[in-house]
Amino acid sequence: MTRLSDRIGWHPTPATLIGTGVVIGGFMLTEVSWWFIALSGLGAVGPGILREIGWLKDKDEFAQRAAQRAGYHAFLVTALAGFVIAGFTRSGERHLKNPEELATLFLALLWFTWLLSSLLAFWGARKATLRLLLGFGICWLLFCAADSWQHPLGLLMSCLPAVPFFLLAWLSQRWPRIAGVLLIAAGVSMYVFFRFWANDRGGIITQTCTAVLLVGPLLASGLALLGVRKDGESGAAV
Amino acid sequence: MKDDIRTEVRRLRFLNGEMTQEDLAARVGVSRQTIIAIEKGKYNPSVGLSLRIARTFGVRVEDVFALEDEAPREARDDEII
Repeated sequence: MTRLSDRIGWHPTPATLIGTGVVIGGFMLTEVSWWFIALSGLGAVGPGILREIGWLKDKDEFAQRAAQRAGYHAFLVTALAGFVIAGFTRSGERHLKNPEELATLFLALLWFTWLLSSLLAFWGARKATLRLLLGFGICWLLFCAADSWQHPLGLLMSCLPAVPFFLLAWLSQRWPRIAGVLLIAAGVSMYVFFRFWANDRGGIITQTCTAVLLVGPLLASGLALLGVRKDGESGAAV
Repeated sequence: MKDDIRTEVRRLRFLNGEMTQEDLAARVGVSRQTIIAIEKGKYNPSVGLSLRIARTFGVRVEDVFALEDEAPREARDDEII
């Protein structure tokens, strides 16, 4: 366990592990009642609240500062999205599908921005991007394997979209700025190709949730890689 | 305004018996990740942590951290007698 956490450079504190367990437990219990989602909320923000009021001191100043900076990034992104959504919903007659997903969208924006910013602060742009892209690629391969393992040709074809992720992961280590530009281009292309802005199919709110999960990491990694200095270190300091 | 800080932590570690990042982290009460971030210039430590690091090496804070555009302490004219 220690070796694995040393290898990946992530040392979760007991409070973080307990919080993660409570989040997962809360999500699983939503099968019983959606009120259990509040339990997930407690697991997600509980340790942070305890740290802010000084009852929990399990992080050193760098970790604390990185978490606070990530929180500010999450605020900026979510506030911007909030203004855009306010403009969209109030500028004329809108028929939003799944308006109950609005809270999910804001939670996804908050949590994802916070997580990505924390990862970038902890690992640096290159290492974080490498791991994110490898994670993306591996998840895609696992998804394909589970979906079409009975049809070898179909499996091969459906695995092909994972190749660019692995190529970009390799490129991000050799030429980070070029990889950054390509990642941003890939993110924008995905957004346009899948028409995530359109208020059809699942509705714009659900579409934007999906865009946050798929396009967000690509754009964030791409922007972070553009800030990598010539000596290979990330330009942004905590 | 953000100052670029030059750090001598890595050099001082090696001058102090090739102290590992893990050792230094344990002595000043932070994680190894924090020492890595300080050495890479990604994180400017607090005054308290800077003092603890300097005390560990037995030097002054200015010998560990300096402004990037400042000449190294040894080469400053005003200190040459």
